[in-house]
Amino acid sequence: MDAQQELTAIQAAKADPRAFTPLYTAYHAVIFRFIHRRTNNRDLSADLSQQTFLKALLALPRYESRGLPFRAWLYRIALNEVRMHWRKKKEAVMDLSWAEVRELSGELGVVEADDDLQRLAKCLSRLPAEKARLIELRYIDGLSFIEVGQVLGIAEDAAKMRVHRVLGTLRQYLGART
Amino acid sequence: MRHRYRISPEGRPTLSDAEVARHADAERLLYNYHHAVKPLYKRPLYKDPRTFIALLILVLLALLISEVVEDPPPAVNDVPERSAP
Repeated sequence: MDAQQELTAIQAAKADPRAFTPLYTAYHAVIFRFIHRRTNNRDLSADLSQQTFLKALLALPRYESRGLPFRAWLYRIALNEVRMHWRKKKEAVMDLSWAEVRELSGELGVVEADDDLQRLAKCLSRLPAEKARLIELRYIDGLSFIEVGQVLGIAEDAAKMRVHRVLGTLRQYLGART
Repeated sequence: MRHRYRISPEGRPTLSDAEVARHADAERLLYNYHHAVKPLYKRPLYKDPRTFIALLILVLLALLISEVVEDPPPAVNDVPERSAP
């Protein structure tokens, strides 16, 4: 779905909720996987993604495009849903594969060795939740800086700067041989 | 709440596109949407003739009861006795 088709679909869905189906079909898989990465539970991911799309549909009349990708808005709602779910838990564990952290590892100079991966996991776990979220969105979900900004409610430049700082912190942690 | 990361070469079990698609249900989404926006009453109670009559009877009954309660019967000895000169 290109930007123009997306905009047309949004306008149609604002007028008639039944016209939301093409948007749902286009983004269900990405939102489901986004939630599943954080919950590692299929049924829970199905519930939370359904809740995400329901909230999006209910809030759609207030949605303004402003040239930003629609999926970033969905990511934002999904992240709030996951946070609401996490609130009830003491600990949230995110299981990642080497493939998912390849780009981050490249930035930090971590190689695909078991020790290095364990160190990287430890360093990520040491980060405060807000900083870890920046890394997740940028390197694990693969969002652009503009999308990271939209999800977190900050400007693109601010997102770039914060990600850069967090990478610096991670390099320090990794250099300190945690 | 604490966040923890686990990184392994294979990670968590991967989901195929078919498995993800199995959880997609646009019909359920629309059903939930209509359920969420549907008003509790389609039109005000008083606009239904039967309910209107029932409400009217209730109001009249309440009025009648309040009238009866507000006017107590006159007491037998409410005229003061004449005092002796």
